[in-house]
Amino acid sequence: MLGEVLNPYYLQVLCFILINIMLALSVYVPLSSGQLSLGSAGFMGIGAYTSALLAIHFELPLYITILVGALLAGVVGIIVGIPSLRLTGVYLAIATLGFGEVIRVFFINWENVTKGSVGLTGIPQLGRSLLNVAKAAGLEPGAFGLRNNQFVYLALAILLLIIVSVLLWFVIRQKNSRIGRAFASIQMDEKAAESMGINITYYKVLAFAQGAFIAGLAGALFAHTIGFISPADFSYHRAVEILIFTVFGGSELVIGSVFGAVILTLLPELLRSVSDYRYILYGIMLVILMAVRPQGILDVHLLLRMRGKRMTRGTG
Amino acid sequence: MLIEQLINGVTLGSIYAIVALGFTLVFGVLGIINMAHGEIFMVGAFIGVLTTSVLGWPLWLAFLASIVVTAILGYFLEVFSLRPLRGKKGVSHLAPLISTIGVSIFLENLSHHLFGAGNKPFRAEFAEIRFEIGSVTIYLVQITIFVISVILMIGLSIWLSKTKAGKALRATAENIETASILGVDTKKIITLTVMIASGMGGIAGILVGMAFNSVSPQMGLSMGLKGLAIIILGGMGSVKGAVVGGLILGLSETFLVAYGDSGYRDAIAFIMIILILLIRPQGIFGSKAAEGR
Amino acid sequence: MKRYQHFFLTMLAAFSLLVLAACGNSTSGGEESDATDEGQATGGAIEAKIGVISYLSGAGAAYGEAITQGLKLAQKEINEQGEVHIDLVIEDSAGEAEQAVNVGQKLMADDSILAIIGPTLSTEFFAVAPEADLNGITIMGTSTTVDGIPEIGDYVFRNAVPESLAIPAAIEKAVKRTGAKKVALIYGNDDALTKGGFEVMKRKAEEMGLEITTIETYQKGQSDYKAQLTKIKNSNPDLVLASCLYNEGAVILDQARKMGISVPFVGGNGFNSPQVIEIAGDAANGLIVGTPYFGDSEDPKIVEFNKNYEAEFGKKPDQFAAQAYDALYIYADAIKRAGTGEDRDAFRDALAATKDFDGILGKFSFDDVGDVVMDVTVVEIKDGKFVEFEE
Repeated sequence: MLGEVLNPYYLQVLCFILINIMLALSVYVPLSSGQLSLGSAGFMGIGAYTSALLAIHFELPLYITILVGALLAGVVGIIVGIPSLRLTGVYLAIATLGFGEVIRVFFINWENVTKGSVGLTGIPQLGRSLLNVAKAAGLEPGAFGLRNNQFVYLALAILLLIIVSVLLWFVIRQKNSRIGRAFASIQMDEKAAESMGINITYYKVLAFAQGAFIAGLAGALFAHTIGFISPADFSYHRAVEILIFTVFGGSELVIGSVFGAVILTLLPELLRSVSDYRYILYGIMLVILMAVRPQGILDVHLLLRMRGKRMTRGTG
Repeated sequence: MLIEQLINGVTLGSIYAIVALGFTLVFGVLGIINMAHGEIFMVGAFIGVLTTSVLGWPLWLAFLASIVVTAILGYFLEVFSLRPLRGKKGVSHLAPLISTIGVSIFLENLSHHLFGAGNKPFRAEFAEIRFEIGSVTIYLVQITIFVISVILMIGLSIWLSKTKAGKALRATAENIETASILGVDTKKIITLTVMIASGMGGIAGILVGMAFNSVSPQMGLSMGLKGLAIIILGGMGSVKGAVVGGLILGLSETFLVAYGDSGYRDAIAFIMIILILLIRPQGIFGSKAAEGR
Repeated sequence: MKRYQHFFLTMLAAFSLLVLAACGNSTSGGEESDATDEGQATGGAIEAKIGVISYLSGAGAAYGEAITQGLKLAQKEINEQGEVHIDLVIEDSAGEAEQAVNVGQKLMADDSILAIIGPTLSTEFFAVAPEADLNGITIMGTSTTVDGIPEIGDYVFRNAVPESLAIPAAIEKAVKRTGAKKVALIYGNDDALTKGGFEVMKRKAEEMGLEITTIETYQKGQSDYKAQLTKIKNSNPDLVLASCLYNEGAVILDQARKMGISVPFVGGNGFNSPQVIEIAGDAANGLIVGTPYFGDSEDPKIVEFNKNYEAEFGKKPDQFAAQAYDALYIYADAIKRAGTGEDRDAFRDALAATKDFDGILGKFSFDDVGDVVMDVTVVEIKDGKFVEFEE
């Protein structure tokens, strides 16, 4: 019964969509405080390699390795974030880009540990360890009418869904809180915010570190979903891809990042015939978007209009 | 070996310098980092390959073709990607950056499609001429590259400071509105600037093809990132800085390979970016004003 | 009103993309290639559906194209012979591990697919193969030459001659002829294939007691190798071991020769391509590689294959095409022996039992891990063409 409906292919794609939503969020949070970070691929790599290596060499349970990976990425985010306070706008973007590339070269050359470009194989897969946990608890997939690999991907997808939901809840709550308002004011005008008594240092580093943590978390989950990573997975191309999720979907709203990640992850699957030209289309799309609608597809006006409210122009 | 590596470093550095000149010109006038510059450089190199290997044109004609095509690309870049963003209220300062990233992705993948992924050979008799001084071999191409980069630097400086167009450009760089009130056709100047910058990218591209015998669609990305590092090191908007920065980067990369671990070669540029931005964001020759942007 | 215009423009773009998607989807997610136009299987032929994951779009599409064409040529011939009828379901992975995993899942979820060939890159293969193994579907790499591939699982095989076979053979012969004592190594450290090849080279050099004068690396997108080559030249090696893809390798050879490095170069699988001669010209002379596929061989089978391939696709085949061609034949042979096109386990066992299969590349068997047992030809470039290496 369930067995026919749940195709591991769809579930696999769903898993990647969820991971990409996380990555989009990792760009969104710093961006909401006015910081464009192109280093998300680097933090993703830190999370991925840390978690994978801990799991392979020390055989620690995955929930520990993933957490450690994300935390390490977050800590590096703080370390990188503090000196970056002096930089604004494009300067910050380029510095973070440089950082991401340094990390990648570092992974390539630290061959003893990361095995360089050959990559790390045999990374324990999260879904499969969930299956083992279930079996140990006496649950058999067959009882639900599922095959083993369907259960694996279903469990993985559900876990990712939970994690993403928690993240989204957190980010949205934060946006509507004092912290979120501090971010927004810093984004609009740093000097004004500072003169209003907002501790810019604290908030900027907070946003940056949060972004790094989320990227690291996504990276670790990515490693344990796909089972094999290499430095090429965390290149400049990846950073640009992640950036596009948020920029395309809508950089003002959290839902924009979600939207962007969903559509752009599905695109290669739906548009296989046009998949060849995918990046060419992305390039053209970015140019058109920036010229015509730089805030991305979804923005506040659109959302309000969709909810049927009218945008008043000052008078009731 | 030291002399040879020195020559290698200066040649590489000169090419980096020419690429950086293009970057610095656009940044100086528009305050925009053109992430597509590296790809324009790559297109210039491919035009060189196409005209010499496929069409069999002589070298000087290939040069001309390369400059023309890249200048036209620059024109399109300005009109479609940069101009719509100017003067719009509420557009974040990041929009031009992202737009040029879009152009760079577009160009990189377009050339993958048109030219395939691999290196293409570049044949030119000029590239074969060499001199032997003792145990050291110097190629005429290497000397030419260095000379061209110096000429371009001097030429650009003179143009900027002495000619009417150059002064108009500097005025526009200072303040677009004031310049336009004073009668400068800012739109034309800006377009001209981007075209010149792109043309220089084309020159660098074809020089690379000649010097190293190979062009590949991947060369744009790494050159673009290195070019960024150079203008940050030398000071964004500074012509002198671009050349000095380029030479410094070329020499450090070469010496790292010669005496250290060649695996970390690319990391130098990026580490440099980070360090400079933290210690002295305006670069060696940059002015403090640049920091404010 | 301007705001609405902008809005409509972007919505229109988005909708047209979606419409394109619908059109693309309706021609079915995968390209089904059925060589016989009659459509009906002749009576008695075993029907089998083979899934193919190939690098068809993006930077390395040339490799995937060669592989797919080799498969299609083999499919045509096999179907004409009438004992087995193969349908190929071809999916594009664009050289990306995530894409490969997605299309892999798609193929594996299709119960009518017997086995899988591909993906093209070792990095993709490492991501997909464990899944296939766990799902009990045979998967075979025709171009994945890095260490550790068949060891992934019982259902994982390869017919691509690995670096660990090709390189040592070439090095041994080169050393024997030149009496080399010192070698310099150069490799691309940001690519799994060239790095894997380098590791084999280093191991072999150490085993043979050769002195390694220097180890240099380069990265993608680099055009200027002079710094590394100057260092190599000054270290005076008798041989240069170069683990490169043929594009970079040809340029490195060219620059090396210009600089005065005249010693022979030994290359790995990636270096083996007629393109090297085209790109490097005379500089290519002196390159030694171990290869399963020697294109200028006088063996009638290879001559026939070259002829048919060129007639069908308009260009000469390379080792990717040749190995893919043999791969499908090996599959067909296993299907015949298993007697079924639907039982995945029976197929797997029949495949593992392949012994001395006579392909165009020579006699082929699997060892107990599913790796290649085959003779390797060592060739060198002399006077502008590939010839067999003479001692």
